[in-house]
Amino acid sequence: MLELVQVRHAYHGRLVLDLERFAVPPGAAIAVVGPNGSGKSTLLRLLALLERPSAGRVLLNGAVVTPGGAARRQVTLVEQRPILFRATVRENLEFGLQVRGIRRAEVNRRVENIAARLAITPLLGRRRHELSDGEVQRVAVARALAVEPDVLLLDEPASSADRAAALTLYRALAEERARRPMAVCLASHQLEDAYRWADDVRALADGRLSPVTPENLFRVELQAAESGDLKHACVGTVEIAAMTDKTGPAILAVPPTDIFVSREPLASSARNTFPGRVTSLARRRPDEGAVHVTADVGVELVAVITEEAVRDLALAPGTPVVFSFKASAVRVF
Amino acid sequence: MDFLAEGFRRALALLFSGDAEVYGIALLTFRIGVISTVLACGLGIPLGFMLATRPFWGRRAALTVVNTALAFPTVVLGLLLYGLLSRRGPLGAMGWLYTWQAIALGDVLLALPIAAALAAAAVQGVDPRIRRTAETLGAGRWRTTWTVAREARFALAAVITTAFGHVVAEIGSAMTVGGNIRGQTRTLTTAVALYTSQGDFGLALALGLILLLLALLVNVALQTLQGRGHA
Repeated sequence: MLELVQVRHAYHGRLVLDLERFAVPPGAAIAVVGPNGSGKSTLLRLLALLERPSAGRVLLNGAVVTPGGAARRQVTLVEQRPILFRATVRENLEFGLQVRGIRRAEVNRRVENIAARLAITPLLGRRRHELSDGEVQRVAVARALAVEPDVLLLDEPASSADRAAALTLYRALAEERARRPMAVCLASHQLEDAYRWADDVRALADGRLSPVTPENLFRVELQAAESGDLKHACVGTVEIAAMTDKTGPAILAVPPTDIFVSREPLASSARNTFPGRVTSLARRRPDEGAVHVTADVGVELVAVITEEAVRDLALAPGTPVVFSFKASAVRVF
Repeated sequence: MDFLAEGFRRALALLFSGDAEVYGIALLTFRIGVISTVLACGLGIPLGFMLATRPFWGRRAALTVVNTALAFPTVVLGLLLYGLLSRRGPLGAMGWLYTWQAIALGDVLLALPIAAALAAAAVQGVDPRIRRTAETLGAGRWRTTWTVAREARFALAAVITTAFGHVVAEIGSAMTVGGNIRGQTRTLTTAVALYTSQGDFGLALALGLILLLLALLVNVALQTLQGRGHA
């Protein structure tokens, strides 16, 4: 188990990560989602033991570990824009195995094996300037998998890949996890990929973990209310009402399961009522009964409703809908 | 024009006749140049790595000192070295004054900051992801340093060429601590200065051409080495 405990990390005095606890259990498939600048890459670099947190501890199987120690050989990171060494793809794949003193025959076997699984065998003789961005990313993932880490950290692994390459990548990860115990923690801003691939999706916003699922997170500036705790924050072209005593910069989270979906405005206590049109309907997993309804209501909001509700409301892309939720349902952190 | 043409003719004649004095001077210059460059780069390149990669107290001040030393006047360096190596100086007992070792010492002191400053710049020019990638793949400190050096190898080769170029072209310190003694401490630059002042323009020009040839040879050798490693 790889853990960050009471970790705070700052660059030049600016706090970029503030986590009470973040754990990667053995064999887990975790996706960390969040917008650019939310702290995902910093989180992965701390987990990879490439940086020492400004405060707090990094634990591996209960023991405190630090950058530069032997523990780093159990955790490998593939950065968002990975770089290959000035050498052939084969030499790149061999690198991590050679530093571990693995004998030549085994190095060759592992390189051939991982290259075949990630469909990069034809690239083995090429150098970095002869590869596309997507190929570089696949080679970087192969290079990380070749060393058979206990924890593999991937920062936006499919950002430069086309759909087919991304599927090859995710299939290779699934095969690797089926073959041997390996935890994977992946940072992505693509919720679709995160839900399709991970067992556990966690949302990061402004360096903090969101207490709710990662949809409908908005960075806002909260003004002091004239009376009481009901505050209004501008998000896109709409104004969201929230009950909070917080003022200043904050994150608003609207839990998708707390949103009522209707075809007409409801006479209700909900302080937030937004008409719009359905943009997509999706099931995160084939066996899941819930449907994620995304609508453009001036800002993109996701609601989770049952399949039966989708049928009753005759929802389809383009259908006019009204999304409603209570001010007290909005989480502020 | 006749004067120049005559100078060139005499220079070529001296070069192709295998004149013992000319080649003796060239050989001594080459020997001092190689020894000084090896020592200066052997010390300066690791120092440059340290300045570029290891955070320590006073690192910025150290970088400033090294960068300032780049512009240190060679005559002043020779003067200080003269004070140290003269009989009454603290290093007088070594008996190095007016020897090729004194010239080499001056050249090392001259090339050391060049090697350190340019190596630091070369290492700082390497994409920081290279270091992180090596580390995350399990490389220890030395293997990571070697990996970064491999990435910077073209720039590091330029460091060696530049150091060698400065060392063989240096005159101020060589003249002061070497004394320009015929057959012992006369280098290409001090000889060129002497023969020009004596009016032997042809001989001075011949030695100047050899100096250029030396710099060219070292550059070609390093470029050939670089050519073997592709991007």
